[in-house]
Amino acid sequence: MSSEVLALDLVVPAVNGAIQGSVYGLLGLGIVLLYKSSRIFNFAQAEFGGVAAFVWVFFDTGKWFLPDLPTPLAVVMGVLAGVLVALLTERLVVRPLFNAPKITVVVATAGVLLLLIALEGFTYGGTAGTFPPVFSGDAYSGTAIRITNQGVAIMITLAVLSIAAALFFSRTRTGTAILAVSQEPTATRLVGISVERISSLTWALAGFLAGVAGILLAGTVGLAAPGSITGLALVPAFTAAVFGGVTSLPGALVGGIVIGIIEAEAQTNIPKEHLPGAGKVALFVALLVVLLIRPAGLLGKET
Amino acid sequence: MSVLEVRDLSIRFGGLQALQDVSLEVNEFEVVGLIGPNGAGKTTAFNCITGFYKPDSGSVRYRGQDVTSAPPHVKARMGFGRTFQNVGMVKSATALENLKTAQHAKASYDVASGLLGVGRMWQGEREMTAKAEAILDLLGLAHIRDKRVGGQSYGTLKLLELGCALATDPDILLLDEPTSGMGPDESDELGERLLVLRREFGLTMLVIEHHVPLVLRVCDHVYVLNFGRLLAQGTPPEVQSHPEVIAAYLGGEAPDALAATEEPAQDAAAQAAPHQPEADAVPEAASLPKRRRARTAAGQRDEKGQSA
Amino acid sequence: MTALDSPPVPAPVAADRSGLGHQALRWTPRLLVLMALAYVVLVRMPNDQTFAPFAQDAAIYGIVGLSLNILLGYTGQLSLGHNGFYGIGAFAAAYSLTVKGVPFGLTFVIAGLAGAVFALIMGVVALRITGLYLALITLVFGLTLEDSLFQVAWLTNEGAGQQANRPEWLFDETRYFYFCLAFLAVALYLDWVLLRSKTGRALLALKENERVAEAFGINVTAFKLLAFVLSGALCGIAGGLFAFRVGLVVGSGFGFALALTFVLMTVVGGLGSRLGVVMGATLFATLDYVLHSTWVHHINGFVFRTDNLDQFAVGFIGALGLILTLVQYPGGIGQQVRPITRWLSGHPFSIHDDKDAGPAAVEGSSVRA
Repeated sequence: MSSEVLALDLVVPAVNGAIQGSVYGLLGLGIVLLYKSSRIFNFAQAEFGGVAAFVWVFFDTGKWFLPDLPTPLAVVMGVLAGVLVALLTERLVVRPLFNAPKITVVVATAGVLLLLIALEGFTYGGTAGTFPPVFSGDAYSGTAIRITNQGVAIMITLAVLSIAAALFFSRTRTGTAILAVSQEPTATRLVGISVERISSLTWALAGFLAGVAGILLAGTVGLAAPGSITGLALVPAFTAAVFGGVTSLPGALVGGIVIGIIEAEAQTNIPKEHLPGAGKVALFVALLVVLLIRPAGLLGKET
Repeated sequence: MSVLEVRDLSIRFGGLQALQDVSLEVNEFEVVGLIGPNGAGKTTAFNCITGFYKPDSGSVRYRGQDVTSAPPHVKARMGFGRTFQNVGMVKSATALENLKTAQHAKASYDVASGLLGVGRMWQGEREMTAKAEAILDLLGLAHIRDKRVGGQSYGTLKLLELGCALATDPDILLLDEPTSGMGPDESDELGERLLVLRREFGLTMLVIEHHVPLVLRVCDHVYVLNFGRLLAQGTPPEVQSHPEVIAAYLGGEAPDALAATEEPAQDAAAQAAPHQPEADAVPEAASLPKRRRARTAAGQRDEKGQSA
Repeated sequence: MTALDSPPVPAPVAADRSGLGHQALRWTPRLLVLMALAYVVLVRMPNDQTFAPFAQDAAIYGIVGLSLNILLGYTGQLSLGHNGFYGIGAFAAAYSLTVKGVPFGLTFVIAGLAGAVFALIMGVVALRITGLYLALITLVFGLTLEDSLFQVAWLTNEGAGQQANRPEWLFDETRYFYFCLAFLAVALYLDWVLLRSKTGRALLALKENERVAEAFGINVTAFKLLAFVLSGALCGIAGGLFAFRVGLVVGSGFGFALALTFVLMTVVGGLGSRLGVVMGATLFATLDYVLHSTWVHHINGFVFRTDNLDQFAVGFIGALGLILTLVQYPGGIGQQVRPITRWLSGHPFSIHDDKDAGPAAVEGSSVRA
């Protein structure tokens, strides 16, 4: 009996962690893409998703003068907002700092993050509100394990986007160009690919991924306040990216799921009295260990 | 006892054997040249000697003491002063600040009193400023005392870098291409300066140099590296006439280096032409008084040189 | 005797210009400006009881800014985890005073030590992990501390918060401001000394080129660690001051926003510029008050029709300031006010900045990986 309880203690967080980890993986994917294209860490990545989540809710509820759009359209508007914010960041902040030291650009993305939180605050207000899931209802509801439709949707989204990304980067001209620019910017320029255009594209793509992730995460957690997506997902997303050495796209996806499970297991199974914030501690330890023993990432290879 | 004794130094980077069983010796007050075509491993040897690289095998002895694995800053404290191939200085700092930074290890106050700003620190700072100014005067660089190093010409930088190496109060000075970026006149002037410095400061030097007239003029002994191996060694005239050295240079990337001073092969003559003025240095070098040669070590050297 | 023998020294040509009258003319306006500034900063503002706590914050943030500047400005290491050192200092001070009964003065020593120890841990990590990765790991470090150590029951008085009561003679807000200001003054002095000592030169050298630093006999590892320890100690002491500023230390106040605010104010202030950093810190510490108490307040209901402006305006203005600083004015406030500070120190007024001279640290936003 106790072994059954134990199994459940391990299984339940593993399932929930894997679902939440898929979102981390999506965000981590964006982080890897931007690292590959601009050689920077984008600290605003999760908040692109935050903006998308708020815009989605604004349209879903018809706030102010906005039309009360049906959910799918509202989601599209949210994702578009994520893309737009990412594009603006690239154009107004990252590109002017092209020749600056990379750390300067990273500090600037932290500035973008704060700016976005402030904008969310102006529009939404400072108190946390409830966010509806995009997909309601349960797919499976047992005595101990409950899998929501939203959870299933997340897993499917991750699978679809992973396959789409794999095809995009191997089959399409644009996708291969993005990878080429990340490796040989000068040579790519010589063969007539516009590095600027590719850079915008990469950021747009990162914004898209963040937008999808942000909306799904906000709906899963059910609560949102300005900056809450960053608070929830930024550190795990980076840890996921680092798992793949910040260069491997599949590494970030797998890393996200692994990180999600580690976080959920630690959070559930280590009592708060012994170690408050066990989930965060587990993430910190995981990140530190990976960086110390395998700076190239556990799943990383230079692609 | 030799000041620096390097034995069988080998280091490999991936598939490249950068150094293979290189041995060399520098005696007290000697100026020893280290020459060779580009990529021969000269700078790598410097980096092994000064502790920036850890050699795979072999040993570095300083005044009889094994210092092979000592880190660079420890070696700097022992008395290894060095310059870098492409200027090692704090570019955003002024000339004076650089010269004071270089005196770091010799400062007369400890870090703790430096943090609190006690009287001893200011005394020490005054001494360091005075020494830095003395070096600036010595090198004729007083006019750039408070100028950022970053904006200066390459030749000035190389000279100031030499000053910084001097400011570390070295026992043995390792100079990596001290005349790069200098014209022929400046180079000759630098050669004279090195000899003066040796006399004034009692220095021992190991010099990587491409400018052959300078090597002939100032070096007591020359080692030639090629493809990471010791090709030849001896007094400058000996090395100059060494057939393998000539072959290495003519076949290598820097045919003009020796051609300017040696009866050139026909095809090298054209390339050597721009350097014609430098040829004047040959008789001049030959007329210099014979320098004190390494005593007993000389014989051993020749054996090793042949075996290498 | 010799003095009599030697011929009279001819008066320098510039003598009439350096005469008493000219000197007075030169220094009077400068002194007046300085006195006016001193009056506003030292007397007028802290005596306003509602403003005094913000002025205390300004002084405390100033110390944090100097602490961060040692790492980021002088050593070139980006730490996003100073909220952690700050929080540790605050808890160490509150805990040692309230639970352990340590005398008030000693609590700052403990706060500084606690900050230094944790910074040393990060310093050891920084020896292996550099650049962007260091920024990341320090950020996660600070956030983790906020969620774990700062929530531990024994430290936080079962989560209710650890009390930190000032001694009676510091109850007065104005007086506590002067107390904080004294700490800031000492920190400024130590920073000034640091840049003039071999330690400061060693840090600047290793920031720019570790190999050169080593060739100069500088133990790069030791000085990197020293930079972390110094920075952590200063930040811990600032945390201690903060503990007594608020009186009750709770774990939730040391999060992401604080970490970023610290970096923002330092970069906007101007890396490597002592005065700039303090001005940046003052700006960010008092922005809240300024927004609440001036005409900006009225924009609130009028334009935005929400009550959210106050709460987020600090972040908004800070973030805009940061991005503008990085993209347009890399020297930060420090660089922008240089013509004025140069004038105050006796030079003729000129917008042109003498780029050739001055200590290396004034180099723009040379945040390096």
